[in-house]
Formats: sequence, C-alpha cells, structure tokens
Amino acid sequence: MSSVDLLQTLGNKYSAEILDATDEPRSAQELSDELEIPIATCYRRIDELTEHDLLELHDNILSDDRRRIKVYRRNVDAVRVEFDEELTVDIEQRSEVTNRLDEAWRTLSEG
Amino acid sequence: MVELTKTGIDGLDEILNGGIVRNSTTLVSGNPGAGKSVLGLQYIYNGVEMFDEKGIYLSFEEDEEDLREAAESIGFENWQDHVDEGAIKIYDKQVLLRENDFSASLELLLDDLDGEEYQRLVLDSLTMFQLFFDNEREQRTYLLKFTDILSENNLTTLMTNEQGAIFPETEIGLENFLTDGNIFLLQTPTDSGVNRYVWVAKMRKQNIDTDIFPMEISQGGITVHENASAFSMMNEDDAPL
Repeated sequence: MSSVDLLQTLGNKYSAEILDATDEPRSAQELSDELEIPIATCYRRIDELTEHDLLELHDNILSDDRRRIKVYRRNVDAVRVEFDEELTVDIEQRSEVTNRLDEAWRTLSEG
Repeated sequence: MVELTKTGIDGLDEILNGGIVRNSTTLVSGNPGAGKSVLGLQYIYNGVEMFDEKGIYLSFEEDEEDLREAAESIGFENWQDHVDEGAIKIYDKQVLLRENDFSASLELLLDDLDGEEYQRLVLDSLTMFQLFFDNEREQRTYLLKFTDILSENNLTTLMTNEQGAIFPETEIGLENFLTDGNIFLLQTPTDSGVNRYVWVAKMRKQNIDTDIFPMEISQGGITVHENASAFSMMNEDDAPL
C-alpha cells in the first residue's frame, strides 16, 4: 500500500482518535460510545486501520452475556512523514516487549 | 502472619526480622563490585540447598559460564549440578539478548513462571531490563506490571540495580518506591581493601532493623555481622524511604 494511501487513511475523520484510544484493547462499540462515532463509521475505520496494520485485532473476549466481542489495539507508537528525498511514511511499531507484558498482566487480572 | 522467604545468608535474615516477605520484589542497589550479583547467586543457591526451593536467575550481564565460575569461586560447588538438574534455571545474556529479541525470551520466561515450579527469581539487572522501554513512564508502568506478574506466580524476587548509595545525599531512584523492599550494598576503600556494608532501608509489611551493618564476602558467600554495627548514620525516622 502506498504512502499516500496510508496518509489518507490516517487523515480520515476519527482515525487518529481511534488510534489514540486503543492504547488498551477496545471494542468497536466502546470506541463508538466513548468517541461518539456512528457505529457503522466506526466499523469502517477499524477495517481501514487494520488493513494498514495500524490497528490489530487483539483478542476475542467473552462479554457478560456470553457473546464473543472483538477488541482492537493500536499497533503503532508513532508515524513519521518525510518529504526529503521522496515521500516516506515511517511507522514505529509498538514494542513487542511491552505487548507481551501487557498480555501477561491482563491474563492475571482476568484470572 | 506474613510469610517469609529466608535468604539463608548469615546475619541478613536476622536484620530482615526473619526473611524477605514472600512473593514480594526487593531491589538490591549498589555500585559495581558491591556484591549485588553475589547476593543474587547466594539467594538462588541457598534456596535449592537449604529450603528445597527452585530458582530462576536472569542475567543481562553475564553468560552461563561466567555465572558458574562466579558461583564456584565463592564455594557454591553444586551450582552447576543444580543447573543441570533444573533446580536452577538460567536465562543468561546470550539467551536474553539473542538476535536482539528479548520479547521471545520473555515469552519463554512467562511460560516458566506460569507453571509455578519456581519460588525464587533474580533479575540482574533492572537497569538493563529498563532499557527495553522507551521512556520513564513506560519503565515505571512495566516494572509494576512485571512485579505483579511475578508476585501472582508466587515468586519472591530480587532485582539488582546499578545505583550508588552515597549517604546522606542518596539520590533515590523511582524504582525504589515501586518495589516492596530496598537493600543497599555499600563499599568504602581502606588501606587493606574494602569495607562492605549492607543497609536494609525498606521492607513492606516487615519490622526491620534499619541500621547499617558490616558484611563480608568470602568463601561461602556473604556474611552479615549483625552485632557489630560499626556505625549508624541514620535512624529510622531519617530514612528517606
């Protein structure tokens, strides 16, 4: 996917807010409620961001009424755009170390 | 009644009023050469030899061979046997830093912890561990999460920390506030060598003796002389922690 596409995706309304809010795993419904995004738009943005690896499906958790809910987490810490030679977009991925510790810790609090 | 894990180190358990609080994390701070790694080795070794408790030793500083030599040089003759039999599990720097992929080792470690097979853990050093995080806030958050994980898996942990302790203007790092206990190892040069001291500054849930006690490192490891408190620079009320 080209750099321009990526910037386009990032620039879409609510994309930045969604990435900002998904430091910890969130469901589409939670994001829609918290950020006041229409639910259909919310799903669309999640799909776009996931396609670009900016967001990832983190888990399928079991809700209180025993339904499976998808929760998403952002996959990036930072995005850097450079115009120096040719347009480049650098994605700084979230550290794997923090991911693993987060996961292990989350398992604790569930247990 | 608080459950305690004995270090098995002569004199130290007495100062600690019986031992380290079980499932807690204690920071062992000091300058290079102050004896932090020796304390770690001895804690793990004694666990197996005296208390039938298995231990994990994580070292970013040394490889398995270095650890073996260090252990044997102070008389822990059965160190390698325990390693070979699995009573002591070593993650040395080669494993931890393999292809720069600490996250893969972390995964293995977390699996090991999950089995609840081990009771003791040493991380040498926290200073290196913290390099895997981008900023101070992350370092703090993940130190807390990591200590939670260790505690929930019933591990009593010592973490070493490169931090000079110069009294009374000690600069207290934040990690001292995030852990359950703080032990400082100090050394002062003398004509004939060094004088060594240990100061237990904090131990949550425990009534400890916060004087500074002389200690020795010799064959058999560390010995703390609890009755010969050579000097006391601080009383409990002045302790900064």
